[in-house]
This record gives sequence, structure tokens and C-alpha cells, in this order.
Amino acid sequence: MPSDSEADAVVLDAVTHTYGDVTAVGPVSLNVPAGEFLVLVGASGCGKSTLLRLIAGFEQPTAGSVLAAGVRPVPGRGAGLVFQQPRLFPWRTVGGNVALALRYAGQPYGRERVEGLLARVGLHDVAHRRTWQISGGQQQRVAIARALAVDNPLLLLDEPFAALDALTRERLQEDLRRVSAETGRTCVFVTHSVDEAVFLGSRVVVLTPRPGRVALDLPIELPRTGIDPDELRGLPAFAAARAQVGAAVRHPEGVLA
Amino acid sequence: MSTSLETRPVTATPGATTALAPPRRKRRILLRLVALVVLYALWEITARTMNNPTFIPSPGAVWHQLIVTSSVHDGVRGYSGHLLIEHLGVSLRRILIGSVIGVVGGLVLGLVMGTVTWIRVVTEPVVTFIRALPPLAYFSLFIIWFGIDETPKLWLLSIAALPPVAVATASAVLGAPTGLVEASRALGANKWQAVRDVVLPHALPEIFTGVRIAVGVAYSSVVAAETINGVPGIGGMVRDAQRYSQTDVVVLGLFAIGLSGLLIDALLQVAEKRLIPWRGRA
Ligand SMILES: Nc1ncnc2c1ncn2[C@@H]1O[C@H](COP(=O)(O)OP(=O)(O)OP(=O)(O)O)[C@@H](O)[C@H]1O
Ligand SMILES: [Mg+2]
Repeated sequence: MPSDSEADAVVLDAVTHTYGDVTAVGPVSLNVPAGEFLVLVGASGCGKSTLLRLIAGFEQPTAGSVLAAGVRPVPGRGAGLVFQQPRLFPWRTVGGNVALALRYAGQPYGRERVEGLLARVGLHDVAHRRTWQISGGQQQRVAIARALAVDNPLLLLDEPFAALDALTRERLQEDLRRVSAETGRTCVFVTHSVDEAVFLGSRVVVLTPRPGRVALDLPIELPRTGIDPDELRGLPAFAAARAQVGAAVRHPEGVLA
Repeated sequence: MSTSLETRPVTATPGATTALAPPRRKRRILLRLVALVVLYALWEITARTMNNPTFIPSPGAVWHQLIVTSSVHDGVRGYSGHLLIEHLGVSLRRILIGSVIGVVGGLVLGLVMGTVTWIRVVTEPVVTFIRALPPLAYFSLFIIWFGIDETPKLWLLSIAALPPVAVATASAVLGAPTGLVEASRALGANKWQAVRDVVLPHALPEIFTGVRIAVGVAYSSVVAAETINGVPGIGGMVRDAQRYSQTDVVVLGLFAIGLSGLLIDALLQVAEKRLIPWRGRA
């Protein structure tokens, strides 16, 4: 293996994935260095979820290779994953869902620990509730708390904030941006929102329509720490990046050509 | 065995029956009471007009037998030396033991069938075959093998109770929701943990339906099993009463079986609601 990719948390090498005779994604080649916050943007159905599932080890590439931390990814080892749907276990309470994740990681899963994790995603007094007794946005936040329970070096998030109200979304975006900067975890984050992409990402990759390929690969040169979110959004560099990503999302083929 | 003719859909929300609007509930109870009274009246009238207690005993005669079989009179204890409640107790004990063995066996078998393909391929026809047999058909075999005491009866009930649970468990395990299994794997669950924490809980509602059917099958088989050396036991009591044309005792035995069956199914339903609050949510 080349020495420079040893520091890479994720390496996609000419990855293609087909479902039956439908090519969902690829070929895509991407190196994600450790600590990077990579955001994938692209039209619906372009293969973003498929890419995340490949990195998580739930799918095997039809062609090319996927490496996470230098090895072929295995689900549940080294990567936390937030699916596009909450996928909570209805036979467990909200708190029980989070506790289960802690248990699998061999960590203490007492009440305080669980409530602390829930509080981190802005949920209070819901630990005893049944999963169907909370709103869709709250369910998604529980799913995030569940994925955050374990300190995996890699965090994969598939449109985690799509079902949230604007206020909560902004709060969680800020939270995630801060946490990722502080902990230096590698993140791969999927979204439809250009604004969210530029705000969160240290690098934004825009995909073409199906089969998804890289249309734009843009490093975001914005300060990651010590800056107020509103101030950040007001920076000219922020607006410039947003315009560039927005153009690529609207005309991905043009950028590719 | 089901307490009512209306079969509850599996997806019914928990507490759906209790959540009925109070007036509707009241009307239902009232309707049932009226139906009971009408049935009772019909019975009374038929018994009187036929005036043939061996053919149709009157409600009064059955009631009288309830008192006679539940007490010691002229030095005779109940019926055939046992009180009615003792007959019933022995039968219920057989049902309990047989059902527990059958349910546990069915659960294990169903789990294995649902997870290991070749075992499913091999055992599925066997289970379906046994399920199709009337329990009485293999009872003779058990008598040849195990004699006429408790052993063949318990074998019969266990074997009769096993297939419904095995089939329900296997199908539920096979239908495990990929999304949730993946979610557990993503959280770091190993294969066994995924089975314990996702596949099994997801299967529980269906398994419970299987258990209710199994207990029902055991219930209906016990009377058959007790036709041979079945005293004490409700089936043995009914069998003896039939020999001596004591139709009132036969009818009393039917009531004892039917009513205790209703009670047990109601208990199972309550247990189901408490144990599986997520029924219909997964
Ligand atoms: N299990 C599957 N079987 C067959 N085709 C699939 C399967 N999963 C996804 N696809 C197809 O692959 C393509 C990419 O799907 P994917 O879910 O990765 O898209 P996406 O970019 O995540 O879309 P969205 O933004 O709507 O979530 C789609 O055209 C989809 O129809
Ligand atoms: Mg998707």
C-alpha cells in the first residue's frame, strides 16, 4: 500500500456498484484523510447512500476496492453509521436503544450515560418513552445519539438532519461541526443541502446523477474552530464556496465535462 | 383457541380492544349477556320439551352434577373418587407440562429452522406432516411405546404443541427486518447479539400467536389423551360418564374444559399485551 494512503481513513479506488443491472454509483475514486469532514452532495438516486453503505461494509463493490482504516470495512468495526431512516428498535425504549449501543461497545450503559448522550442531541426526558411516542425528528436524533455512543474514528451520516426543523438542524450542525473539529474524527456526511454541505464540510464532493461520479471536489478553506457560526456564514469565502457547490449541483455534467 | 370469533389482526395496536369507546364496549358486553341468556333459555326449553335427560340434560341437572362432583357425598368423593376441580387440575397440569415442552421445543426448532437453511429444508416437511396429523393418530404409537400412564399423554401434548410454535418462529425469524438487523450490526452487534436483540424480539408477536395456537391444540388433545386411563382428568371423567350415560356429567365436563380454556386464552392475551407492547409497531 502506498505510504500516503496509510493516513487515509477511507480509500475508494475506482469503486463501482451495481444493483442487478442498475449501476448506482461509480466509478468513484476518493481518498479521505483522517480527520477530514467530507460532505457528499448530489441529486436523489445518484448513489450517495450506496457509497456510505460501501464504506460501512454493508455492500461490496462490484468493481474497484474500498478500504477503511487500511482494511476492507466490516459493519460495526471502526465506523459509526447513521442511516437515512432512524431504524430504532421498537422493543426497546428510547434510552434502551442508546444503552444497547453502549453495551455492544463494552461500555457502562447506566442511566446517566444514556441521558447524557441523549442530551448531546438535544433530547431531554424521553429516555423512558417508546420509540413510536416521539416525533420523526426526535427519532433521528436518537439514532444519532446511538451512533455517537461509541467513539469510532469514523462517522458516516446519511442525511441525518433532513427530518429536523430548521432551528434544531442548525443547532445540531453547529454541534457536529464543533465535535468533529474537537475530536478530530473523520466524517462522511451525505446531504441535499448546499448550505449544510459548505457549513459542515472541510471538503465537499458533488456527485453526478446516477451513476454517481465525482463532479466537483472542493476543499472548504474555512476556519474549523474558534469562530461563531453566524460569523462563519457571513464570510465571503463561505458565500463563494456555496456558489461554487450550488452551480455544480445544478449542472453536474457541465463541471464534469 | 380464540376467545371470540372475530380474529384479531396481528397488526392490531396494543390495547385496541380496551381502547374502544366506552359506550361501544358497554353495548358489546350487553349484547353478549343477552346472547347468553337467550342460549340458556333455548337450552332449558329444549330440555323440557324433549324430556329425555340422557339425550339433553337440563341446566338444572348439570348444575346439580356440579355440586355433586365438587363435594364428598355418601362417602364418595366427587366423581370416580376425585372432585371436579381435581379432575380439571390434573388435566391442566398435563396441558401445562405438554405445552411448555412443546413451546420450548418449537422455539428452539423454529429458531434453528429460521437461521440454518439446510435444517429448514430437511425439517420443514416433517413438521408440516406432523402438524397435519390429528394428535389422536399418533397417540396409539405413544401408547405402544410408553404404556398407558402419564408419559404417552405428555408426549402427545408436547408433540401436538410443537409444530405451531416451530412454524411461527421459523417464519418470523425468516422475516427478520433487514434494516434493523443492519442497524444492530452497525452498532457492533455480533451475529448472536443481532439474533438476541433484533430477530427474536421482532419475532415475539408472531411466536406468541403460535403459542396461543399451541396451547389450544394441547387443550383439545388432552381430552383425547385422557380417553385411555384418564382418571383423574377431565377427559377421563367425561369418558366414564359417557359409558354410564350420565349425560349431565358429560356436559359439565364440556363446560369445565371450555370455560377454563377461555380463561387461559384470556390470560395469554393479557400476558401478550404486557410483554409485547410493540406489537404492530415493528
Ligand atoms: N437495494 C437496491 N436494489 C436495487 N436498486 C437499488 C437498491 N438500493 C438503491 N438502488 C438504486 O440505486 C440508486 C442509488 O440509490 P441510493 O439509495 O444510493 O441513492 P441516494 O443518492 O442515497 O438517493 P437519496 O438522496 O434519494 O437518498 C437508485 O437509483 C436506486 O434506485
Ligand atoms: Mg440516500
